[in-house]
Amino acid sequence: MERPLSPFMFPIWYRFQITSTLSILHRLTGIALALGSILLAWWLVAVAAGGELFAATHAFIGSPIGVVLLFLWSVAFFYHLCSGIRHLAWDAGYGFEIRDAYCTGYAVLTATVVLTVLAWLYVLLA
Amino acid sequence: MANTRPLSNATALRDEKVLRRVRHLGSARDGLQEWRLQRRTALALIPLGFYFVASMLRLATSDQLTAAAWLASPVPALLTILFVLALLAHAVVGLRSVLVDYVHVRARLVAAELLVRAAAVVLAGASVLAVLKLFLGR
Repeated sequence: MERPLSPFMFPIWYRFQITSTLSILHRLTGIALALGSILLAWWLVAVAAGGELFAATHAFIGSPIGVVLLFLWSVAFFYHLCSGIRHLAWDAGYGFEIRDAYCTGYAVLTATVVLTVLAWLYVLLA
Repeated sequence: MANTRPLSNATALRDEKVLRRVRHLGSARDGLQEWRLQRRTALALIPLGFYFVASMLRLATSDQLTAAAWLASPVPALLTILFVLALLAHAVVGLRSVLVDYVHVRARLVAAELLVRAAAVVLAGASVLAVLKLFLGR
């Protein structure tokens, strides 16, 4: 049977709320970070190999695309980290009240912004 | 099997149906291990992640000698290996749960899972080798 599954509702009938949006973001950032692990392994191999491979990797990281990727990676990382801590709290049985879920949701978003800004201030000032 | 039993034996028929259902669609029996692995690696990745990201952002723009010297020292080498292994184990469980949700054709699911696992093994092997090479100073 070709019955529509729930995502078909997204563009028109589904009203986003912070709870579902953050849940989807947790998955998306998780997938992005998994893809990012390829770049991480690549960088480690490049450092170990040195020479031309490192020079090419270094140039890529320093290029506009590289910097944007690194920035997106840091945002995804901090978001997934904070959101993951929220999930661990749920696993332990805390924070299920709607009020708490909204509170911790906004806290996760705030912490993501703060950590990302702090991290990049550290990079730019160091 | 069902043909050999009298159809009037409703209990036997029901039990057989239940057993068949359990065998094919029942508990995989190792789901809890996966759940635990995801939470344990998540806990490990909190401190490891903060450490590694702080180091990475510092090193991202540095030259090869600085990065190589950092990876050759014992504590960064150990923590980097642990970070990569925890990260990839966590990623495999996470990607699997996404695949199970969205890939409904059995053959595609198995293929995608194999691909994810193979990629994780290759990335883990390459990362560990790279760090060990620097650590052992060759």
